[in-house]
Amino acid sequence: MKYLLSAIAAGMIFAAGMTAQAQTVGFADAIKILAVSCGADIDKYCKSATLANNGIGQCLDQNQAKVSQKCNADRAVVAGLIAERLAAQAAAPKICARDASQYCKGVKPGAGHILRCLLKAQPSVSEKCNTAIDLAGYR
Amino acid sequence: MKNLFFAGAAACALCFSATVTSAQTELSRNQIINSLQGAQQKVEVSADALQRAALENIQKYPGADSPQTIPMYQQLASLRQFNIEITFDFDSARIRPESYEAVGLIADALHTPYLQGQTFFIVGHTDAKGDRTYNLELSQRRAQAIREALVTTFQVPGSTLFAVGLGEEQLRDPADPFAAVNRRVQLINMGYN
Repeated sequence: MKYLLSAIAAGMIFAAGMTAQAQTVGFADAIKILAVSCGADIDKYCKSATLANNGIGQCLDQNQAKVSQKCNADRAVVAGLIAERLAAQAAAPKICARDASQYCKGVKPGAGHILRCLLKAQPSVSEKCNTAIDLAGYR
Repeated sequence: MKNLFFAGAAACALCFSATVTSAQTELSRNQIINSLQGAQQKVEVSADALQRAALENIQKYPGADSPQTIPMYQQLASLRQFNIEITFDFDSARIRPESYEAVGLIADALHTPYLQGQTFFIVGHTDAKGDRTYNLELSQRRAQAIREALVTTFQVPGSTLFAVGLGEEQLRDPADPFAAVNRRVQLINMGYN
């Protein structure tokens, strides 16, 4: 089972690497790679490190000579995936501002009302904004 | 005290093997969003006050089990909320790798425009095994650990998240005080500030 999970995670990383421009990965999927690829090393070498403040990442970094090759390769990918998604989410409202004012006039901002409107207006919404929504994981 | 808080790691290895595909992961994120969105009436309860009320409940009604519910907690019952299992090391606030994904799902949900700008309580609960004060303190540290992971690793704005530990003071299934269903993290939407 463990091997299977690793294979799936590796496939996901590969897919993410192949389409870095066209796709980002959610936080759950990203951090799951860390759990799958580094779970055993975390339990072995990072017994007192926590998920907060990148504690696990730092601990694995300090123990990289002992940590499995797979974990060493994947943990950098995970940090990159999280950063990518955060950047995409920060960028989306700006990229979609013009579409929002054009297609969602009078829609009250907050609670996802603008996003709901833009999703509904997808066929009219600019390609840039639709892509931004995809990258932010908001679809 | 062995099974404090949440179901064992072994049990959860099974539940995660069922959710390896990303389509199902998306579904889970949306389940959290659907349960939490739509903040309605405002309830004037602060996290500090609720934490104090839990401690006072132990002092006022000492004994092996909590005979009373906390009135302040009952005020939150009508709010939008979601229960999720997070596993920790024994006697510790260290989140198990098996539960990283669950914490990530909470982050995925909280980072959507549907929930942004709203305030959430992260409430930790244990089952009734062990000492009440100990359980209260451990659940508080665990709720805090989840909050810290969300705020730092996943950059959810810290001003929107409050950690509270209620130990075994508010069992989900009082008829079965040791049941796994009692060990849970409860996310409660406290609305806009």
